[in-house]
Amino acid sequence: MAGQPIDQFAARLPADKRAAVYLGTKTTHEKRTQLLFDQFADPDRLRRLAGEIKQHVLENLDTYLTQAEAQLKAHGAQVHWAATAEEACGAVLRIMQARGATKMVKAKTMVSEEIGLAPFLERHGIEALETDLGEFIVQIDRDHPSHLVRPIIHKNRREIAQSFEREGLGAYNDDPETITRRARQYLRHKYMAANVGLTGANFVSAESGRIVVVTNEGNSRFSLAATKCHIVLVGIEKLVPRDRDLGLFLNLLARSATAQALTVYTEFISGPKLPSQPDGPEEMHVIFVDNNRTGVLASDCREILRCIRCGACLNVCPVYRQVSGHAYRSVYPGPLGAVLSPLLAGGHFAEKADLPKASSLCGACNEVCPVDIPLPDLLLRLRDKGKRAHASLAAAGTPPMGAWAILASTPGAWKLALAAGRILNVLPLGLIPIPALRAWVGKRAVPAWRGGEFRKWMRDRRKP
Amino acid sequence: MSDSREQILSRVRAALAPLPRRAPLPDWEPALVALRGQRADADPWALFAERLKAVNGTPLTSVAELAALLEAEGWRHGYCDPQLWPSLREAFPASFIVETEFDRTRIDDYQFGITAATGAIAETGTLILSDRDTSRRLGALAPWVHIATLRREQIFADLSAAVAALPADPNVIWVTGPSKTADVEGILIEGVHGPGLQIALLVDR
Amino acid sequence: MRSDRQLPGADRRVQLMATCLCDAFYADTARATVEVLEHLGCRVEFPEAQTCCGQPAFNGGDWTASRRVVRHAVRAFSGDLPVVVPSASCAAMLFHGALLGFEREPDLPAVQQLGRRTWELADFIVNALGVRTWPGRCESRLAFHRSCHARGTETGPAALTLLSSIAGARVVPVGEAEQCCGFGGTFSVAFPNVSTGMGAVKLDHIRAARPDILVAVDMSCMMHLGGLAEKEGRPIKTQHLAQVLRDALNRGGPR
Repeated sequence: MAGQPIDQFAARLPADKRAAVYLGTKTTHEKRTQLLFDQFADPDRLRRLAGEIKQHVLENLDTYLTQAEAQLKAHGAQVHWAATAEEACGAVLRIMQARGATKMVKAKTMVSEEIGLAPFLERHGIEALETDLGEFIVQIDRDHPSHLVRPIIHKNRREIAQSFEREGLGAYNDDPETITRRARQYLRHKYMAANVGLTGANFVSAESGRIVVVTNEGNSRFSLAATKCHIVLVGIEKLVPRDRDLGLFLNLLARSATAQALTVYTEFISGPKLPSQPDGPEEMHVIFVDNNRTGVLASDCREILRCIRCGACLNVCPVYRQVSGHAYRSVYPGPLGAVLSPLLAGGHFAEKADLPKASSLCGACNEVCPVDIPLPDLLLRLRDKGKRAHASLAAAGTPPMGAWAILASTPGAWKLALAAGRILNVLPLGLIPIPALRAWVGKRAVPAWRGGEFRKWMRDRRKP
Repeated sequence: MSDSREQILSRVRAALAPLPRRAPLPDWEPALVALRGQRADADPWALFAERLKAVNGTPLTSVAELAALLEAEGWRHGYCDPQLWPSLREAFPASFIVETEFDRTRIDDYQFGITAATGAIAETGTLILSDRDTSRRLGALAPWVHIATLRREQIFADLSAAVAALPADPNVIWVTGPSKTADVEGILIEGVHGPGLQIALLVDR
Repeated sequence: MRSDRQLPGADRRVQLMATCLCDAFYADTARATVEVLEHLGCRVEFPEAQTCCGQPAFNGGDWTASRRVVRHAVRAFSGDLPVVVPSASCAAMLFHGALLGFEREPDLPAVQQLGRRTWELADFIVNALGVRTWPGRCESRLAFHRSCHARGTETGPAALTLLSSIAGARVVPVGEAEQCCGFGGTFSVAFPNVSTGMGAVKLDHIRAARPDILVAVDMSCMMHLGGLAEKEGRPIKTQHLAQVLRDALNRGGPR
């Protein structure tokens, strides 16, 4: 019997990987909670406010996009628009080819994963090197990130040391400090040799056009000091209305993502370098990417576009902790991904329709979301959508409810079923060919059937 | 490509057209993000220095202290903003080689870089850098040690004040301690692409 | 905190929604609920036509099936009395979930009316009837499992208020108490490996707290955790809050 792919992935996941993911997520989640409640009188109020600001932006997105574009241009940046992944890749390629550039250093941006940028550029003879340590390791392993913020949460030091040795970065050494120093030494010369630096954007202030990029490692900072051309890839939803709103979002982002008050580097970039500054990009390009975000905006799940990619929902999710990021078969995993990935898939929704089912709807994700996205409600809406689309991946393993609904709306039949169910107390349950019952019985005892007992007790009490 | 612009914007408008009304922009006061337990310290440097240490940064109050620290570690070759060097050079022993031009073909020669900060944030121990005040972006970033010179009156109390005063500069960077990563098994390692030692040097007028 | 809720009248008449799980398996929980409400002076009516709140189909994504069952519930519980239910998830279905399912339906107002009248049991006792201390005795270590559908409601604090107030009761903290037990309705059978993995983590934490009784406001969580524990040969004693309260009364002597 074909079951749910995510459940099957979980069953095959090695215990040490699950343990690494569990420990990494639980630790960050607990520190995040401690920090927020220590430092703010009412963190939940901040989350709701941030959610309202983001919802306002989404519902006025055309205004804010044109405002941001005007500001960026006024500060000397060039603005491009990419309706699809192909257009976004093509825009990057054209910018590089216009400069005769063959080497790019890139900072971490999930949009670049979405559009498949690095493999695309490599096919066109361009070196597109990841500089975030975790993404660098993912790249040399030809792997995929398994967490929004901690891409190699599923890898241990021994695996990394083997990869480094294989890539010629030194004889096997699994000391984390040595690994980091080797990456530092290798990558700093790559920055100096590169022509173009590509980053994402955590926020874009529509008021000033400022692009905000936050990192701990300093990789985006280095690419903006060493190279002469800066390309920003950013989803159209990443706007905030005013600079002052950054004061709220920056207070929430790092605390939610890594349990820090601020990441080490918070960069506010509003154009190419000053003429008086010798280092840095003379050209800045901002590519606004749609890639079906407009489709999500038109749906009844548009709140998901508030997401600021902090990963707090992944860190608290008990399902994510059991299955790990790769189980979601998508760029975006966890609760965020369970909603966003099927939606971004557009016409291919059915291929990802099982993702929203991989949840017990516990609601922990919404409780930690810094922009108060009603994730459980969105998961439910997508389950309804999956059912109506007859998506077979979504249906696998879920008992059909049509007959149940008739039974539960026909009191006479219901009472008969209560009486008849007593047979379950005597039958060998594992042999009954009802898939849902077998799935239950395989792992858990079944309580004694007492159908009708309470009703009889209630009736008897009323007798004089 | 301007077709794509029109296509995207018209899709946005079409997506939003059915909404009966649009969510309003809520007003909010910076006091909402004030941190609990903040002391109204008379000396902003004292609070800044305490918070800088909490993020493994290094506050110093004299050039002599700085020179001694560098010498003790054997870091004698560095870069300094030419406008700053005249006021600092006296305290540096003759054995030091301090260049006031940064040669990007020899980035590994520079063990330290000294540039001027644009400001600081006391509540987080953050240094603020900008294109205008940073003589060389690489000088502040590539060496293992970065020293940012700071005056007391440049220090903002909190994040909201610093946001309100964001300068009209294309590259403003908030630096909160030395660069770091926890990508390898969640173990914190300092000194990744940016400096491994982040110093703030108080230079009173 | 829901601000639109309907309080009981002076005669304290209420309708009891027993839940389909209690109807089928947990008769004693439903009995204890009646006895607890009657102790508080309520006149408990039991609409015989009731079946289920519609949650299993709703969570499974079959909103057509779910709406059919919810409409039946609206009919079965017609009137304007408070509806008290010993289940946080059933209550949440009626005052939140059903509203999503009926967003575009013409009979949404009838569903909203039922939702406004629906109270989870602990919430009803503390916040509708104003009772914060419970008489009687309970000489046990109690581990309280706050089921996920009580998130964002008054149920968890209300249940803890009542349990901690019982003479002799020791409420023991459970590690990672916020984490889900893994039931999740049809999730438990569609994702059996993940569900039991989550349950195993929860059981480890519970056992570490060494409770005498695991107490919940939802029998669904107990069916899952209790079922897992029994299957692995290490059963734990599980009780609904209503049963703990009823037993405490009985130990306290005649009332």
